[in-house]
Amino acid sequence: MSAAASRAATRAEALGAALPPLVVAAERVAATVMQGVHGRRRAGTGDAFWQFRPFVQGDPSSRVDWRQSAKSDRLFVRETEWEAAQTVALWREPGESMRWRSHLAAVTKRERADLLLLALAALLLRGGERVRLLPSPGRRSFAGRGALVPLAEALARHEAPAEDAAIPRHARAVLFGDFLVPLEEVGRTVASLAARPVRGHLVQVLDPAEETLPYAGRIRFEGPAAPEEPVLVPRVEGVRALYAERLAHHRAGLAAIAAGVGWSFAVHHTDQPPEAALLALWLALAPQ
Amino acid sequence: MLSLGPVAFAAPWLLLALPALPLLWWLLRVTPPAPRRQVFPPIRLLRDLPVVEQTPARTPWWLLALRMLAAALVVLGLARPVLGPGAGAGVAGGGMPLLVVVDDGWAAAPDWPARMAAAAAAVERAGRDDRRGALLVTAASETGEPPSVSGLMPAEELRARLAALRPKPWPPDRVAALEALRRFRAAHPGGFESLFVADGVEHAAEGAPEGFAPLAAALAAAGPLTLALAEGRAVRRLDPPTAEADRLGVTVRQIPLAVASEAGVLARTGDGRVLARAAVPIPAGAAAGEATLELPLEIRNQVVRLELDEPAGAAGVVLLDERFRRRPVGLLAGGEGSADAHLIGELFYLDRALGPFTEIRRGALEQILARQVAVLVLADRTVPEGREREMLQRWVEEGGTLVRFAGPRLAERQDPLLPVALRAGERQLGGALSWEQPQRLAPFPDHSPFAGLPVPAEVTVERQVLAEPSPRLAERSWARLADGTPLVTAEPRGAGRVVLFHVTANADWSNLPLSGLFVDMLQRLVALSAGVRGAEGEQPLAPLETLDGFGRLGPVPPAAAAVAANRIDGTAASPRHPPGWYGSAGQGEGGEAAYRRALNLTAGLPPLRAAPPPAGAAILPIGGIPAERDLGPWLLAAAFLILALDMLISLVLRGLLPAAASRRAARAGATTAAVLLLATLAAAAVLPPAAQAQRGPAPEGAAALATRLAYVATGDSAVDEIVRTGLLGLSDYVNRRTAAALAEPVAVVPGRDDLSFYPLLYWAVTPEAPQPDARAVEALNAFMRHGGIILFDTRTEGSGEGFAPGARAALRRVTRDLTVPPLAPVPEDHVLKRAFYLLSELPGRFAGGTVWVARDVDRANDSVSPVIIGGHDWVGAWAVDQRGNNPYAAIPGGARQRTLAYRFGVNLVMYALTGNYKGDQVHVPAILERLGN
Repeated sequence: MSAAASRAATRAEALGAALPPLVVAAERVAATVMQGVHGRRRAGTGDAFWQFRPFVQGDPSSRVDWRQSAKSDRLFVRETEWEAAQTVALWREPGESMRWRSHLAAVTKRERADLLLLALAALLLRGGERVRLLPSPGRRSFAGRGALVPLAEALARHEAPAEDAAIPRHARAVLFGDFLVPLEEVGRTVASLAARPVRGHLVQVLDPAEETLPYAGRIRFEGPAAPEEPVLVPRVEGVRALYAERLAHHRAGLAAIAAGVGWSFAVHHTDQPPEAALLALWLALAPQ
Repeated sequence: MLSLGPVAFAAPWLLLALPALPLLWWLLRVTPPAPRRQVFPPIRLLRDLPVVEQTPARTPWWLLALRMLAAALVVLGLARPVLGPGAGAGVAGGGMPLLVVVDDGWAAAPDWPARMAAAAAAVERAGRDDRRGALLVTAASETGEPPSVSGLMPAEELRARLAALRPKPWPPDRVAALEALRRFRAAHPGGFESLFVADGVEHAAEGAPEGFAPLAAALAAAGPLTLALAEGRAVRRLDPPTAEADRLGVTVRQIPLAVASEAGVLARTGDGRVLARAAVPIPAGAAAGEATLELPLEIRNQVVRLELDEPAGAAGVVLLDERFRRRPVGLLAGGEGSADAHLIGELFYLDRALGPFTEIRRGALEQILARQVAVLVLADRTVPEGREREMLQRWVEEGGTLVRFAGPRLAERQDPLLPVALRAGERQLGGALSWEQPQRLAPFPDHSPFAGLPVPAEVTVERQVLAEPSPRLAERSWARLADGTPLVTAEPRGAGRVVLFHVTANADWSNLPLSGLFVDMLQRLVALSAGVRGAEGEQPLAPLETLDGFGRLGPVPPAAAAVAANRIDGTAASPRHPPGWYGSAGQGEGGEAAYRRALNLTAGLPPLRAAPPPAGAAILPIGGIPAERDLGPWLLAAAFLILALDMLISLVLRGLLPAAASRRAARAGATTAAVLLLATLAAAAVLPPAAQAQRGPAPEGAAALATRLAYVATGDSAVDEIVRTGLLGLSDYVNRRTAAALAEPVAVVPGRDDLSFYPLLYWAVTPEAPQPDARAVEALNAFMRHGGIILFDTRTEGSGEGFAPGARAALRRVTRDLTVPPLAPVPEDHVLKRAFYLLSELPGRFAGGTVWVARDVDRANDSVSPVIIGGHDWVGAWAVDQRGNNPYAAIPGGARQRTLAYRFGVNLVMYALTGNYKGDQVHVPAILERLGN
């Protein structure tokens, strides 16, 4: 266990501690097989008492509830309520673009996205849900409160696009990223997930400088990755309004993609406190 | 050389670069400023932006103009422009060699740079015309060589020679210069042009052959002569001052000017501080002005140098030697030993009064007279017949001032070294056996040197010696009492005089020595004395430090030689004897020469006379007209400044110097400054109360109101408490049993508290007592020297052996730096055992140990031992707790031991308070025995 992952997990835990455990609303009961805390209103494996039923032939004798049976002449079997857990798949956008921060923010977008992801995971794990990365290395999903640190370690190594053939159906997905790639790419990813079917949320994490373009004068803009061709802007203050318009257009496109498949969409800036974004996520994921 | 009006260019071909400036313009315009680089992830959104508003990719026109200006300045600067070429020379010759004649005597020093500029300009011009030149300086060189003409040389070399010239602190020798010129003419018969940079002063004395006019005539005969003169500038010099009693009279001489002017004379100390300034008004047409420097004698003694406050060279500096300075005063008392005692010694007040403004010498008469003294004070000392009287008589007749004070000894035995004959015995005014009241002083008579001093009403005389009436008594009286009897008489003897104060020099006979009048009278007397007289013989005085031509003291030039002491006043300044300090080095105290005399330039100069320029010579004024000025460096510097400005502007345009950042920096700077300012103010506001608190009334003021015992705070609170209760118990016992009234004892820290109020200091030495620091040691030594007693108690002697191991080592440590006299065990007949009770042993809480006191060898302090050292823990025996019990058991014990301990305490207090008063108790057995028989 690396110290950095442990530290990230601790911070995320502290962040999530302010909110109650998150129990993700899970509609499609039959399709999910994982046990969790969602009562299924029928007998099955679980901890909570459901009903006593008369002993029938074929029931193993170990299931007889002897205390109840002793009250009368008949034998009763104790049944518990069937409980199941929801799986939430989490993804954070990889790439150099996320590793950037301007002079206006204290953290990079990647650090903030990681923090939000882990805080959300901490809430989910406390709620008994299962959490996995998208795609999950070794198809592994995490459960239990101690799983946060391994998750943080896996997240540090996570550099894959949001494509996973193994994601359970009717799982939930939360995608963090700046989504500055062309809208078609985002639309393709979301569509492939929604076809599983998987319901999800898009969280766009942006640097404040990306929102306001706070530069002035003659500037040669370069991409965060090497092959990107630089753009020379002769007078940045002159194009600020135009840039804001383009950014708003791009964001509207993202919102449209999300709304098209019934997903939700939120924006978070790295100069704002992460608690607000986490609360918004919690509200979006919690059952109404 | 390209000349364009007032500006000429030395390298005009470089100006060809100016037409290339438009090319530079074009180059600058096609190169846009480099953009800033910025990483930005949403770069995709910035692609293909329509051009809304274009930053000028080209440099703005004003920036271009700035850069063009810088380039033009560089080109112009490299072309070596010269402002006012040839303005200072005024010499226009046609190929003839140039002879530069320079007056480099003292009179040329004040405006030396302007003179050199005038000469250099002429040489420069000659160099441009490829003419050769020669140089003739009219003053003798430092090595004493007479003036001579250098050979013809190129202008460059001549300029180097000119630059090396310095004015000399002696007058020029124009007669020798004329001789040198004649030799030069003989060697070079062709004509030459000459420039004579003259100082305008005829240096020859009245009657001697004139120097200036013949030299100028000889130069004019050889070719065109240009005379460079500083017209309208006063040639001034400062003559040695005349010393009067309380002032210095200064005289400034100059060649008469048509307008009235004013010169300033500064009085400086050896380290250059200015102590006073006198303004010397010089009326129009006058050759001299006079003023006085009024300085108190203490201040005047520090003045070693008077100088004109304008640049005046060596002639504006006068060095004041010992004749103007502190007068040495010898002090001699009648009785040996006690003369220095505080407040009662015969020399105590004299020493205090004379110390600030004279140099006091003490010792035997032979020692004092072996060196030079101006005044010799004899306080109640008779002069026995024989060698001493002869020496004194000879010294007075050579010019010494002998001041004598009366006293019991003088009243009994008279001698001829008195201004008046005295009646035997003294007159007592007031007192138990006299009807008369103490007499006040009458105002001082007009012929007295004390005339004008205010007579304080509180000065009274109770006793005096009386003069025999004589006809000349009135004129010999310098001060009288209200009833007319003389108080101070004086009589001249030879070159000196004898003065007699008819009272003592301490406060026994009158309170005159306590008054400020005493100091004033002594000051007048010392000022009246003739200064240092006597043996100024043939002994040579070597030069110690000499003045250069600018009037600065410096090392002695190699050609300078010693002067005989008795001839230094008549010596004129010359290369052999440059003005400055002469003396015998290395004999005096503190590294200063034991004896030094000043050789002043102006003391040996003839009166100032103007040297009129000869008719027909061209006159070139010195100064006022700017010499050639090279503009190149200034233009280049301006170009660099503009380029630096351009760089700043470029940074701002490229956004590399964001306004926010600079604002932030400014704000941070302002914040820092404000914080510093606030801190300073706060410190200033907080500190004064603390300082005032330290200056507040000292607790010793209260301590002086009652007699009390004191103990040294050991730092061990338990021990301190024992000592305090012990001394408290002893104080009670003493108050009950004796007439002494002791207040509560007090703890003191030597070096911090004033010890002078306490008769006795009890010091319980603990094993861990630290060594006292330097201030404490000084305070304790002073305490013992002035009659205080310290009782060291190690508390581990006799029967108490081993109670405080290590205390003896601590005692050794504590007393290491104290001046403890030789010690001995308390003898059987010591006053300590007789002062109140008759004791045979001195027990405390312990008994049986040895108590040590000073061996009875010196009679200082009335044979009272300044230290008592023992280890009987007396405070333990004396200690009384709050219920009145004695908390510490005596060892070996018994009421008798404690009683004896208290009795020792009473004896100790009596010993401290009365000294050896009870010393005669020692003889009681013998007296009783005699009475009985």
